[in-house]
Amino acid sequence: MKLYNVKLLTVTCEILAQENIIEILKKHEITGYTTYEVDGNGARGIRGQGLKNEKNVKVEVILREEKLQDVVEEISRTLFANFAIVLYVSDVGVVRIEKF
Amino acid sequence: MDILQLIQANLLTPIILFFLFGIIAARIKSDLKIPEAISEFLPIYLLAAIGLHGGIEMRNTGFENMLIPMLAAIGLSLLFTLNHYQILRRLGKFNLFDSYALASTYGAVGAVHFSVGLSFLKNQGVTSEGYIAAILAVLEPLAFILAIFMTNMAVSKQIKTKKQSFSDDDYSNIDVGLNPTKTKISKVLHESITGKAIVILLGSIVIGYIIGEKGFESIKIVFDDMFTGAIVIFMIEMGIIAGQRLDDIKKVGLFLTAFAIIIPVFNGIIGVLVSTALGLSIGGAVMFGLLMASASFIAAPAVLRHAIPQAKPSLYITSALGITFPFNIIVTLPILFTISTLVHSGEGTIDLFNYITEVFL
Repeated sequence: MKLYNVKLLTVTCEILAQENIIEILKKHEITGYTTYEVDGNGARGIRGQGLKNEKNVKVEVILREEKLQDVVEEISRTLFANFAIVLYVSDVGVVRIEKF
Repeated sequence: MDILQLIQANLLTPIILFFLFGIIAARIKSDLKIPEAISEFLPIYLLAAIGLHGGIEMRNTGFENMLIPMLAAIGLSLLFTLNHYQILRRLGKFNLFDSYALASTYGAVGAVHFSVGLSFLKNQGVTSEGYIAAILAVLEPLAFILAIFMTNMAVSKQIKTKKQSFSDDDYSNIDVGLNPTKTKISKVLHESITGKAIVILLGSIVIGYIIGEKGFESIKIVFDDMFTGAIVIFMIEMGIIAGQRLDDIKKVGLFLTAFAIIIPVFNGIIGVLVSTALGLSIGGAVMFGLLMASASFIAAPAVLRHAIPQAKPSLYITSALGITFPFNIIVTLPILFTISTLVHSGEGTIDLFNYITEVFL
C-alpha cells in the first residue's frame, strides 16, 4: 500500500489555550484535529490535578508541510510567551492524502 | 455573641471542618479525590439552589426595592476593582497585567463564598433578601469586563507611544507583535453572559419566581435540605485543591498575602455598612458584604486566561483560593455577621467606629 508523507503536529498545552490553537488552525483552513485531556509534569509543575481549568490537553493535527511553517510560527508567536505549551512535529504516513 | 466566640463556633461547623480536612488530606499526599463529574456537577447544583432560593424570596418580597441595592453593588464593585488596581500597581509594584487580573479577581464575586454564606446564615437562623442572588448574577462578569477594558486601553496606549518612538518602516512589525494582546470586550461579554454559571443562576431565579413556595415543596428535599450537605462535599474538593496549592503561597509574597486578607475584610465591612444604610436586613447585609468581600477563583481563571493571558494565573488563583477563601469563610463571615447585628440593633450605629477599632487594634 502506498503511504504519503505528511506532518503530525502535536501540541501539549493548558486547556485554556486549546481554543486559541483551534482558532489558529481554523485561520489556516485546517478543520481536522484530535484533542484529549492529559496530565503531566513540566516547567510549570505538576499539571492536570485540581481545577478543571488547570488541566492540560494534547492537540494532534495532521497537515501538509506547506501549511506547517505558518501554523507553527503563529502558535509560537502568539502563545509561547503566556501559556504552558510544548509543541513538536513528526513525520507520518497516511493512505488518503486528499483528506489533508 | 463576641466575634471571637462566633469565629470559634463557626470553625466547628461541618463546612469548615471538611474544608480543613481536605487541606490535611492533600498535605499528607492522600489519593483522596472527589470524582471529576461530581466536582463539576456541584457548582451547577449550588448555583441552581441559590437561584431557586432567590427566585422564591423575590416572589415573596417583590423586586421593586432591588434596583438601588443592585446599583450600589455595581458601583462598589467597580470602585473596589479600580482601588485594588491602584494598590497593587503602586504599592505592590505588580506589572500592569497582574495588577488588573488580581484587581478583578478581588472585585468579582464567588458563588462558593455565597453558598457558604447562605448556609452560615441558615445556621444562625437568619434569612436574607432573595434578590441578592440576582445581584450575584449581575456582579459575576462585571469586574472582569472593567479590568479587560482597562487593560485594552493601557495596551493601546503602549502601542501608540511605541509607534511614535519608532520610524515608519517598523509600523507593521509592532502591529503584528502587539495586537494579539488586545481582547475583544464584546467576545468576553458574550462568553461570560452565556457562561454556565450565569445561565444556570438566572434560569433558576426565573424558575424559582414562577414556581414559588408551593411548587418548591416537591423539590425541596434536593435543593433545600441537601444544600449544606452538598456544600460539605464540595468543601472537601476545595480543601484538597487549596492544600495542593499551599506550597505556592510562598511565591505569592508577603504583600499579596496581606492584600488577600485585609482587602476582603475592608470591602466586606463597607458592603455591610452601605447595604444597612440602604435598608437591607441583618442577613441581607451579611450576604451583600460577603459578595463585596469574596474573590472569584472558579470563573476568574477561565475568563482571565483568555482576556489577560500575560497575567500569571498562579498569583490570582493561589491568593483567591489558598488565602482569601479560607480566611473569608472562617474569619470574615463572623466579623460581617457581628457588625451587621451591631448596626441593626440601633444603638450600635454611633458606637460602631469605637467597636471596630476596639476589635481590630
